[in-house]
Amino acid sequence: MQLKQPNGKITNLLAAAACSLLNQTSTAQEVPGWYLDSAVLGYSEKDRVDAVEPVISATRIFEDGRKLNLTFVADSLTGASPNGATISDSPQTFTRPSGRGTYVTDAGDLPLDDTFKDSRTALSVQYEFPLNRLTRLSTGLAYSDEYDYTSIGFNATLARDFNLKNTTVSLGIAYAIDSIEPEGGLPVPLASTSLPWDQQRQGSDDDKTVLDFLVGVTQIINRQTLMQLNYSYSQSDGYLTDPFKILSLTDGITGETSGYVYDSRPDTREKHSVYWKTKYSRNNGDIVDVSYRYLWDDWDIASHTIDARYRLNLSEKFYVEPHVRYYNQEAAGFFAHSLVSGQALPVNASADYRLGAFNGITIGSKFGYRLNDRSEINFRVETYEQQGDTVGNPIGIQNNYELFPDLEATIIQVGYSYRF
Amino acid sequence: MVADLTIDRPTVLERNSDYWVGRFESMASPCEVLMRVDDELLAKKLLHAATTEAWRIEQKYSRYREDNIVFQINSAGGEAVQVDPETAQILDFAFQCHELSGGLFDISSGILGRAWRFNSTSTRPSNDLIESLLPLIGLGKAEWLSSSLMLTLPAQMQIDLGGIGKEYAVDRTLSLLSKLSQAPVLVNFGGDIVCSNNPDSDSPWRIGIEDPESPNDAQQLLELSSGALATSGNTQRYLIANGRRYGHVLNPSTGWPIEAAPLSITVAEENCTRAGMLATFAMLQGENAEHFLDQQGVKYWVVR
Repeated sequence: MQLKQPNGKITNLLAAAACSLLNQTSTAQEVPGWYLDSAVLGYSEKDRVDAVEPVISATRIFEDGRKLNLTFVADSLTGASPNGATISDSPQTFTRPSGRGTYVTDAGDLPLDDTFKDSRTALSVQYEFPLNRLTRLSTGLAYSDEYDYTSIGFNATLARDFNLKNTTVSLGIAYAIDSIEPEGGLPVPLASTSLPWDQQRQGSDDDKTVLDFLVGVTQIINRQTLMQLNYSYSQSDGYLTDPFKILSLTDGITGETSGYVYDSRPDTREKHSVYWKTKYSRNNGDIVDVSYRYLWDDWDIASHTIDARYRLNLSEKFYVEPHVRYYNQEAAGFFAHSLVSGQALPVNASADYRLGAFNGITIGSKFGYRLNDRSEINFRVETYEQQGDTVGNPIGIQNNYELFPDLEATIIQVGYSYRF
Repeated sequence: MVADLTIDRPTVLERNSDYWVGRFESMASPCEVLMRVDDELLAKKLLHAATTEAWRIEQKYSRYREDNIVFQINSAGGEAVQVDPETAQILDFAFQCHELSGGLFDISSGILGRAWRFNSTSTRPSNDLIESLLPLIGLGKAEWLSSSLMLTLPAQMQIDLGGIGKEYAVDRTLSLLSKLSQAPVLVNFGGDIVCSNNPDSDSPWRIGIEDPESPNDAQQLLELSSGALATSGNTQRYLIANGRRYGHVLNPSTGWPIEAAPLSITVAEENCTRAGMLATFAMLQGENAEHFLDQQGVKYWVVR
């Protein structure tokens, strides 16, 4: 019998195989047992939203390679969020989204809905198990619940190793059904807020579905470098509008506000994204992690995200991990700061700044300290600065104001990990 | 009761011109550790770490013992055996090397030793004997679930990690010593060598490569300031029958020696595990050994 002869250059493959043999720390993460991660994240926007989010995650790694993870998240948001209306020269009075009561924004101030208050609890279960030596299947269920919003989702990912475990190909699918039932019912898209209440409302609840597909390749380049490339496709169908957002109707010459209409968005959205990440371990144990994501959708939003972090091991126990993230987004095709009153209304329109054009920069650092073989505490502090771009030409008095005011936020997280 | 290999074995520590050398025996080979340190206490500490690690690996992976994981695997009688993470990594490596070599490197081929004995009194085994052993060889017949650390060998099949263990021990020992001291060190277990990286050093280590025809003379003197050397081939092990010389490197698919294999191959690589495996792979290529090594772009020395 003639065996297949090794063909060509195998030194790289052999080097990778020998590297994983000699680098025994690589299995340290996979020691069977219980792992507990907990953290509390605080997010605070200057003059706007504050959020507190505790997370508890428990992972059980079984002797035979199966993995079970349970994660519980609770967050509570308080504060004020822009309602979509533009700044005006005169005080503005808004009806609360529930229809009960009003609030007033002073002349020259950005209209903020100060009743913004919500709490959410989310629970997810993920279970991974080997199908054979080279293939793993991971499946999960996720559920989250808010006062007026519920989401239930399912996901499955199949990962197979090739090329002596130097290449891993992943195929994933996820499906979620979200339903919304805002207090006071759902507004009629683009209806005037001054219409009688029953004429500006249609139905009490609606839902949307989100279907995601992912294809990914992870490749070990050499003993120090790992590269990952993903493509994902996401399709949303159903109620994609934000029932709490409005747009100002302004005079075409003076820019003075004459009324408001409700947000209106298409009922489908197709998103694509490509993601590239490289992780490089230096000989001294420091880790460089750089990633880039390009996302585009059929709402004409396109965004770039560049993320870089460097883990610097100051001692056996103490590390510092500086982090920089840059985000740039082009506005949705139907985004407008306001609509001109008297003109025909477009099919869709939104002044939600999250669909606008802006840059965001996050700068910060994480600090970690290993208490012993089983536990670590860490602390993360970051600042986020968002600068919006004005879309289209401001009209009249709008020239006196920043139509997309800057946003500053601080993020603080304290975490603790423990292995049983 | 089998002797505990990890204690009470002789070691020698000597001062040389500008380094200390510690000597001991492990894995049926003379072992030495060269340490460019002044402090005798530090040298003692490094030598102790080296012997502890070498003897630990010898005890754990020797196939002549009945108290280790190799024995457990080889006597499982077709049952699955759960291994520890270190053994799992060695098995992963062994399976990867099996695949990379197109099946020529096979840790289950040691059973051919029942047929082939390479010493002056040996004779060529019968075809029947070899044929009877072949069904027990072939890692493809084993089931290795690395994610669950479970290895199942068909009953009667056996593995021998000797083809990996010594180079692995050399690399592990260097890595341990490097954690204890920044001083330049060289680890040499029976001719498989690695030294700590000190390319700027103006005094590299000098290594002799053995001439198979006169093993007591150093044939070639090499200077090594970083990386590893490993040698495959043992010139003492061959037999001559019907006027034909049979080398000791066996083809696991035929049960017969690889034809036209070199007497010895030495490869220089970044670590000893890689060097040793490339030397073994090249040996298995027989007359194409040099061509194979040229393709790999590594530095090598072949003795035919």
